[in-house]
Amino acid sequence: MAQVFEVSVFFIVFRETLEASIIISVLLAFLKQGIGRSMDDPVIYKRLVKHVWVGSAIGFLVCLCIGGAFIGAWYSLGRDVWGSSEDLWEGIFSIIATVIISIMGLAMLRLNKLKEKWRVKIAAAMEERNRRGRGMFGRFTRKYAMAILPLITVLREGVEAIVFVGGVSLTAPAKAFPLPVICGMLAGSAIGYLMYKGGDFVKIQYFLIIATCFLYLVGAGLFSKACWYFQNHNWVSFVGSDVSEEGSGAGSYDVRQSVWHVNCCNGETDGGWMIFNALFGWQNSATYGSVIGYNCYWIAVMVSVALMLYKEKKGYFPFLKSWTEKHEAKKIAKRRARMERIRAEMEEEEDRVEPKNVESDSV
Amino acid sequence: MRLSTILLGAATAAASVAAKTVQYDWVVSTVTANPDDLYERDVVGVNGAWPPPPIVVEKGDRLIVNMTNKLDQPASIHFHGMYQNGTNEMDGPVFVTQCPVPSGSNFIYNFTVDQVGSYWYHSHYKAQYVNGFRGPLIVKDPDEPWDYDEDVYLTLSDWYHDDAFYLVKNEFLTLRNPTGAEPIPDAGLMNDTQNVKWKVEPNTTYKLRIINIGGFVSQYIWFEGHDFEIVEVDGIYVENQKASMLYVTVAQRYTILLTTKNTTDENFPFMISFDLNMLDNLPDTLQYNTTGWLTYDEDADFPDAAVIDEFDFYDDFYLVPLEKEEPWEADTTITATVIMDNLGDGANYAFFSNETYVAPKVPTLMTVMSAPENESTNAWIYGSNTNAHVLEYGDVVEIVLNNGDTGTHPFHLHGHAFQVIERSNASDSDDDFITYDASNPGIINEYPMRRDTLYLRPNGYFVIRFKANNPGVWFFHCHIEWHLEQGLAMTLIEAPTEIRERITIPDDHWAACKAGGYSYEGNAAANTENYFDLTGEAVQPDPLPAGFTARGIVAMVFSCVSAFLGMGFITWYGMSELKTTEHEVAQVMGEIPLDDESGESK
Repeated sequence: MAQVFEVSVFFIVFRETLEASIIISVLLAFLKQGIGRSMDDPVIYKRLVKHVWVGSAIGFLVCLCIGGAFIGAWYSLGRDVWGSSEDLWEGIFSIIATVIISIMGLAMLRLNKLKEKWRVKIAAAMEERNRRGRGMFGRFTRKYAMAILPLITVLREGVEAIVFVGGVSLTAPAKAFPLPVICGMLAGSAIGYLMYKGGDFVKIQYFLIIATCFLYLVGAGLFSKACWYFQNHNWVSFVGSDVSEEGSGAGSYDVRQSVWHVNCCNGETDGGWMIFNALFGWQNSATYGSVIGYNCYWIAVMVSVALMLYKEKKGYFPFLKSWTEKHEAKKIAKRRARMERIRAEMEEEEDRVEPKNVESDSV
Repeated sequence: MRLSTILLGAATAAASVAAKTVQYDWVVSTVTANPDDLYERDVVGVNGAWPPPPIVVEKGDRLIVNMTNKLDQPASIHFHGMYQNGTNEMDGPVFVTQCPVPSGSNFIYNFTVDQVGSYWYHSHYKAQYVNGFRGPLIVKDPDEPWDYDEDVYLTLSDWYHDDAFYLVKNEFLTLRNPTGAEPIPDAGLMNDTQNVKWKVEPNTTYKLRIINIGGFVSQYIWFEGHDFEIVEVDGIYVENQKASMLYVTVAQRYTILLTTKNTTDENFPFMISFDLNMLDNLPDTLQYNTTGWLTYDEDADFPDAAVIDEFDFYDDFYLVPLEKEEPWEADTTITATVIMDNLGDGANYAFFSNETYVAPKVPTLMTVMSAPENESTNAWIYGSNTNAHVLEYGDVVEIVLNNGDTGTHPFHLHGHAFQVIERSNASDSDDDFITYDASNPGIINEYPMRRDTLYLRPNGYFVIRFKANNPGVWFFHCHIEWHLEQGLAMTLIEAPTEIRERITIPDDHWAACKAGGYSYEGNAAANTENYFDLTGEAVQPDPLPAGFTARGIVAMVFSCVSAFLGMGFITWYGMSELKTTEHEVAQVMGEIPLDDESGESK
């Protein structure tokens, strides 16, 4: 099963689709709430809604093309260049994969935060766009703001997804891609839709917690596997080519580094055990490195969660109170300054435009 | 150059020479040699020279080899094929019949040679003989049944550039060689050199003694344009058998009669060639064919040997001894399966069934001599890891070996020549095994062939029988030196009561034990009080742990606990409230209104 469903790919696509659908749902929410004078004119509302969808769709299609081209090029160039350092490469790629999914994982549990962040961003972006729109290009972008914005964001999320997917699955066979990608997109869109509908947040949160737990199980497994690959590379270089003849038996592993070894259930080659390997990093021949790595990963996750909870509660990381306060103050000051600037320019423009147009349609 | 000759003298000299004493005084030390012209290396030399000299005696002579060990390691000498009847203590294998002779010590081998034929001698201390300490041992027979003109010998060998002890320790018997791949030789040698040009006269019959003194590889030998007759194998005369190619494993000897041609205008190559099936891999640099020439005319060309399509060698199973014996009926049978497997240190070992050979602390013969009379017949006292079997005097002993390995193994029995009752072919595939079934026997010859070194075919079996009428401790082992290091050996204690009556161990043998700090009394664990208490004996490494040990279970439990704890933390994170987010947003947004927050903007 692991040969047709690469788990990390699923999670990345899921996450990116989620973010994209949040953006779209925020935009649609704005529209519903009357931005762009949609409240005044249902026709305009419908048109703007269509813009949002069309923009997203175009962005999505472009992503598919880029993604397809990227993956096609990658696989046609041939992957069998690793040769005797295959284990070393597998280890490096596993580390890259685990880093990527570990970092993006926890953010999934702060969807509200994500939503708010996007609301702010979109609002600010819309302000800027409206303000800067001069000349034909400006009028075009202003007119189709509701299409361009989702297009650009979907495109960006999509390219991010492609890059990350490329990063986590450099060694997976080509047929392991379609299924998880489709599943990820479906799952992400579903959640986004539920959020738009203002569905039961609690239920969504439970689902997301379970998904994140799985994600980190996979991440821990990847990290453990990376350690295992590095040690296996050392072993194979030490012994020479005979190791490959040994299958799962004596001689296929380093007895000095072995924590456990069973002659069956090889996670790299034996059917159902490959799923265990993909999900949990199961090895039939565990080394000190792979076991310690697995535990260290979880410890790191626990420490990170603790730190983040601490920050959210107190507003700063432990021992970094004064530094954080200074840093945050700077950040907020900058943002405030930017907002001031925007507002000043808005007033300027208002003055330039017909003074009797009290109601500016730039807000 | 002339092939090494042993001048017989005129064949008509009738009266046999009276039995005499032939003594060799050898100082064994390290010298350098470069026999293949590719690499100069340290070798074990005798009296400052290498190769070691041949021993030549006549039937009935007393042979004395007075060895002084000036190497920086222990040594010993085994006279391969000598029955040592009544002189078991002179046989040579360390920890079987003697202690290793320590550096600086002297040791005398003294026994009567009551047999004839082609033999050889070699070190029996670990892998020492592969470092060059080996040579031919020729026993002349004044009453030979054949007519010939000249008596010559030809030794064949494989040759390594590296020191054998180094190879065993660092490349062979270590965890970095889990498949047990034997070290690949670097060259083949004829008479410890190469490009041998054997000056022959036309129309002459030569009696050529072919002796494989190598450590690992079997070799084919053939003489282009010439057939020959096999007349003797391993000291047993056989009915003349015409052949054109022989397969000679290490330690085996074949004596042939080769008659040269009428003409002298050409020289003919003769070849020895490695059995490449025995090598795990074939480096490009390996010269596995070694050529010599039957030189009729020293000025003529020395052509290259022709490439042949297949090895069509004579199967020695079908030779008929001159002294015919019908197959004996077995009184006792030892059955074992040859297995190669890994133990807990990761290295690959060799087993007879489930036991590998580990040398005891006290040489087995000395245990026989020092044990209480009634306990010496109990195999227990000889160790649990020595594959020890006690045999009764006069019994016909049958050894059945089933090959659980895909390799060819030449097995050698000390102290005897055995009847070759059966030998199966190799099986067709690596996964099939042909095992001996007494109720369904294979081919048995009317008069079985006899010799002292016989090869076992891949996945096949052989059956041999011998009479236990030579009291002594006799080693039975694979003669591939690497496999002997892996423990493919068993100890046969033949008639311990008779050993105690007939064998006397001389003073210098005891002195060697004392000088080397070895134990020389007691059971396999050097226990002189209680011979049944084997605590402290040398045993094989523990087996590889199969499955989860305590360590594995702890690791697994810990990992599961970490995972669950980690997921708990994640859940905690997911469920916790988001106090700061709203606060942040409000800070940033400040006074810019968004429709849904503070009403319509203006």
